[in-house]
Amino acid sequence: MIQLRGVTKSYNGTIKAVDQLNLDVPKGEIFGFLGPNGAGKTTTIKMVTGIIRPDAGEITINGKNIATDTLEAKRQFGYVPDSPDLFLRLKGLEYLRFMADIYEVPQQLRKERIQQLAKRFDMSDALGDTIQSYSHGMRQKIMIMGVLVHHPEVWILDEPLTGLDPKSSFTLKEMMREHADSGRTVFFSTHVLEVAEKLCDRVAIINKGKILFCGTFPEMQQHFQSNHSLESLFLELTKHE
Amino acid sequence: MNKVLLLTKIMLKNAGSSLGSKKGSGWKTLLILLAIGVGLIPLMAALVVFVAGLYDGLAQIGQEGALLGLGIAGTSLAIFLLGIVYVLSVFYFSQDVEHFLPMPIAPGEILGAKFLVALLYEYLTALTMIAPIFITYGVKSGGGFLYYLFALLVFVALPVIPLTLAILLVMVFMRYTNIGKYKDRFRLLGGLIAIAGGLGFQAFVQRQTSGTDSSVEQLQQMIAAGEQGLLGIVTKLFPASKLGALAILESSTWSGFANLLGFFAIAVAGLLLFLWVGNRLYFSGVMGISESRAKRKKIDEAAFQKGIRPRSMWLAYADKEWKVLWRTPAFFMNCALSSIFFPLFGLVPLLSRQDSAELLASLSGWLQGGHMGGISLVVAFSAFVVMASTNSTSITAITREGQGIFLSKTLPIPAGQLLVAKLIPGTLLSVISMALLVAEAAWFIQLPSLFIILAVVVGIPGILFVNLLGLILDLQMPKLEWGSEQEAVKQNLNPLFSMLMGMVTAALCIVLAFSLEASLLQMGVGLFVLFVLADLFLFRLLLRKGPSWLEKMEG
Repeated sequence: MIQLRGVTKSYNGTIKAVDQLNLDVPKGEIFGFLGPNGAGKTTTIKMVTGIIRPDAGEITINGKNIATDTLEAKRQFGYVPDSPDLFLRLKGLEYLRFMADIYEVPQQLRKERIQQLAKRFDMSDALGDTIQSYSHGMRQKIMIMGVLVHHPEVWILDEPLTGLDPKSSFTLKEMMREHADSGRTVFFSTHVLEVAEKLCDRVAIINKGKILFCGTFPEMQQHFQSNHSLESLFLELTKHE
Repeated sequence: MNKVLLLTKIMLKNAGSSLGSKKGSGWKTLLILLAIGVGLIPLMAALVVFVAGLYDGLAQIGQEGALLGLGIAGTSLAIFLLGIVYVLSVFYFSQDVEHFLPMPIAPGEILGAKFLVALLYEYLTALTMIAPIFITYGVKSGGGFLYYLFALLVFVALPVIPLTLAILLVMVFMRYTNIGKYKDRFRLLGGLIAIAGGLGFQAFVQRQTSGTDSSVEQLQQMIAAGEQGLLGIVTKLFPASKLGALAILESSTWSGFANLLGFFAIAVAGLLLFLWVGNRLYFSGVMGISESRAKRKKIDEAAFQKGIRPRSMWLAYADKEWKVLWRTPAFFMNCALSSIFFPLFGLVPLLSRQDSAELLASLSGWLQGGHMGGISLVVAFSAFVVMASTNSTSITAITREGQGIFLSKTLPIPAGQLLVAKLIPGTLLSVISMALLVAEAAWFIQLPSLFIILAVVVGIPGILFVNLLGLILDLQMPKLEWGSEQEAVKQNLNPLFSMLMGMVTAALCIVLAFSLEASLLQMGVGLFVLFVLADLFLFRLLLRKGPSWLEKMEG
């Protein structure tokens, strides 16, 4: 699970990208993190993953504090960034080996996982080629595979479905479901509200650095006393801010 | 034309961000520029002194005008050789063409803008060479307003012809190497052949002019002898330089004006030729330059097993760095290749001089002579240090990763291990350079084995020192926001800074050696102890402070 307590981050000392954020992402749930462009989603994810440090507040992942128990906390999660254009010069298999080395996955285990993931994502024939030769969707898939090769407790995915073909998109959603159902955590950001509505057990909507709503979709409809779609509620929520 | 200027501005702006990162490091930028300026002063001063001496000598035989011809021709040659590298960078490896192609811009406009960018770089290069010559000559000969005006005009037209030649050479190679599925390798090969062609040309010129080194008297004799030697050859290759020289010499007469017109006409003709050839060759050579080949074949079981064998974290990271360095053309050309080319550069004059055997015999005798041993060791040590400092692998270790460094921060690898992994490729490449240089020297000069062993033993801490310093510097001011890999290594001032530090270190050691007059063994022990201590200090600094420097990089 992921916990944020009073997390604040400002740029240039004045503009508060994230303001006094409190968030609980429990185990066994797919948690959607929604918000318009520039709302503070990416800043929050960067703080959770240790890329940037909050000015104030505390972040723990499975009880491990990212600021004080950094390495242990980083071993808890796997992070898929929004731009998959990294490690382009490595071959698919070289990248997966790199990730397995960094997360110290034993030989037999990494072999099984790589083969299984490659099969599921239909990437077996591409592992010998450089990532540069991959299409956008294939790059996304290899990044996801790199993260899953160490079986992290917590998945943190930044816009993971962008560019995936229908089959891979379906596979990934299926895997997210399986992961959450096995009592672990999936935290992902998205702009695609239909996906969030269907896939997420719980969503948080952030705008201008503050959480506007956090809960299940039925709770949200109840809260606003309407039976509108998530999309119209989202637009309503973020319109006047 | 407006679009050409607009494009040029955009291309330069993309390059301009190299002057420091965006967060208020203005003083750092200033410091670097200042350091480069200070570093250039001795070079330019030496040139002024040299030119002034040459002028006095030539004036006695009424041949001082040849100086301008030599200056223009020499600058043309330098522009041509450097142009090959610039053109590869600007035209082929900067990868911005693919962004421009879908826009409503005529191909000729992209070509024109690229030409202007390369031309601007060439002006900066040419300025440091030709300005001291023109000004010294002007002061000595008491040149008037027209002299300086004509000199300025000649300067403006000067780089066009050699740059065009360089472009044509590169374009032909790149056009016919951009083939099929092995494009990646062929393209690299094309670049290498172009550079080798340049080097070969240099060797050829040197062989033709063997017996003439840069001493003033010999140069005077050569010029006085007329169309022989270096001047003859270079002016034959760049015949226009004669027109340029005559234009300035006769700046007060109509014939000077006619020569100037002729010089410009040739430059314009070069430009037209460039556009004509460029339109035919450039786009077919550059299209799909960022694509790479794929086999899409399943890896067989044995290779798969081998390909996933576990390694320790730092080794995995170092291996990743090493592979990226060799597989990215821009990194390969600027980091890996230079470590092999620099030692080979040294070979060119050795091989091309007809009297090299004699020279080397006397050099080897000098090296083995008693009290010179210590100084020779310092000279060898300095060569290794300078060579390591011209290798930009460690000084761009963080920069090369670009935005990827932030992803690295999410990985559970201890920062210390990551930094050690970053240090390895640059150090290894410098050691390869050293090994090549030592092998070369041992082959041509009969070096005593004690000398070779000592040189390597002190060389390794020296190399490590430069690489540690480079990595620490890059941690201080990495340039993480780049659009193309070319930008990361080429349009980045940190490598210059590293080079400067290497030169200062070498110079200090040489000065110290001359004042100490130590024996070979004493000097060896002294250098070893000094630099091992310095390395220990820097290494401790890297491990203690480095993690928090990494921490502070926020994207």
